[in-house]
Amino acid sequence: MRWLRFTVLVVVVAVLQAGFLDRIALTQLNIKPDLFLVLLVFFALYGLPKSKAAPAGGYRFDISPAIITSFVIGFAADIAVIGSAMGTRMLSFGIVGSLLAYLHRVIAARKMLYQAFVIFVAGLAAGLLHGFLTSLKGAAVLNFRLIACTALYSAILGPFLFLPCAWWMRIRTHQFRR
Amino acid sequence: MARKHIKVAQGMLFIWLMLAGLILLLSPQNITGKFGFAFARIFRWPLTIGRGISLARTYQLPEGTTTKTELENHLANLAQQLLQEHQRVEEFARLRVRFPLEGAALVPASVVTSLLDASRSELVINMGRDDGVEEHQFVLANNSIIGTVLRVEPRQARVRLLTDPASKIEARIENLKIYRVMYGTGANSAKIPNISRKHKITKGLRVFACTKPGFLDTPLIIGTVTKCVKDDEKPLLWDITVEPVCDIQTLTRVYTIAMNPPQELRL
Repeated sequence: MRWLRFTVLVVVVAVLQAGFLDRIALTQLNIKPDLFLVLLVFFALYGLPKSKAAPAGGYRFDISPAIITSFVIGFAADIAVIGSAMGTRMLSFGIVGSLLAYLHRVIAARKMLYQAFVIFVAGLAAGLLHGFLTSLKGAAVLNFRLIACTALYSAILGPFLFLPCAWWMRIRTHQFRR
Repeated sequence: MARKHIKVAQGMLFIWLMLAGLILLLSPQNITGKFGFAFARIFRWPLTIGRGISLARTYQLPEGTTTKTELENHLANLAQQLLQEHQRVEEFARLRVRFPLEGAALVPASVVTSLLDASRSELVINMGRDDGVEEHQFVLANNSIIGTVLRVEPRQARVRLLTDPASKIEARIENLKIYRVMYGTGANSAKIPNISRKHKITKGLRVFACTKPGFLDTPLIIGTVTKCVKDDEKPLLWDITVEPVCDIQTLTRVYTIAMNPPQELRL
């Protein structure tokens, strides 16, 4: 894992998410794609180096980097959305990202359609978990429509962003084919 | 020299990071909120540029629109101030009263970034405690109230807009002597509850923020009634929707009202 490149990518995404995405916001609900969610799914799917403790003749993915990246992306999302309850996205992204990385050891999402589906489902799960944690702190009301629309928008845009992410991170996505 | 690898079990790593998240979650908001403000301060330049680009692209207002709105709001405010003064003169004819907003200060601030969606409507501005901004102060834009200061840092502040679902501002509809707490809906509008249908309320009536000792000593325009229909759940009451009189999404400059400012900030 190239951690310096990862840090730069997260910072760029944080600035883009906080300042530039209003331009492509839709409807009066101001629905924007969640770049952090796209990044989360990308690293959960492709940020898995092969484990050195792989069985002979086969391979096993090490999900430790995916766990770290999930929590770090969540933390960055907490910071970039100024004024939100801290820790909610860190926990929701961390749990969803780790679960996704764990599942990716047995399920592959190679085609763009599947990637979009994974982003959508991860967006729903992370959004609901985030909403639940936020409402526990009494900070905001859970808005299902906003969560679903954001997940859908991210799912449509997300697979196209995987390519620049893979290029920047020097990750060969084809190595994850089964 | 060989690199030293620290091996941590995946399960343990997950638990440690979960604990870190829980600590953040349970920490007081005034401490954790500093992270967000630090981010906005460090990346103020790209964030402001991004907002400028978004506004330039999204909103192409005809020339003079802002000026017209500003003047209309100013006129409405003056009319209310005049009315208030007349009432005061009638009530205390022999007493000298201070002119509204006399001695107050307007602290100009630029909008660093906005957080506008269904769950939140907030602005981050580049003026804070060091500049005379305090919590709960009213925020003015285009001569109309747009919200109140929610949280203050030394050099920045968060403004909760009147359309935020958590916003509660006491307001009064023009020509009515009824004061109600207006709450935001999150969809660029606010609602005024519990107004009986015996009152004649029509679309287009202006709504004023009520005076609040120490924060606002004269009513200022806050919005206009854009919808007034029978409340489906409470048929004896109106369901009144109010929209801000200025386009909040296009704002780049706002003013906080400091009623008791230090001497150097006074008007």
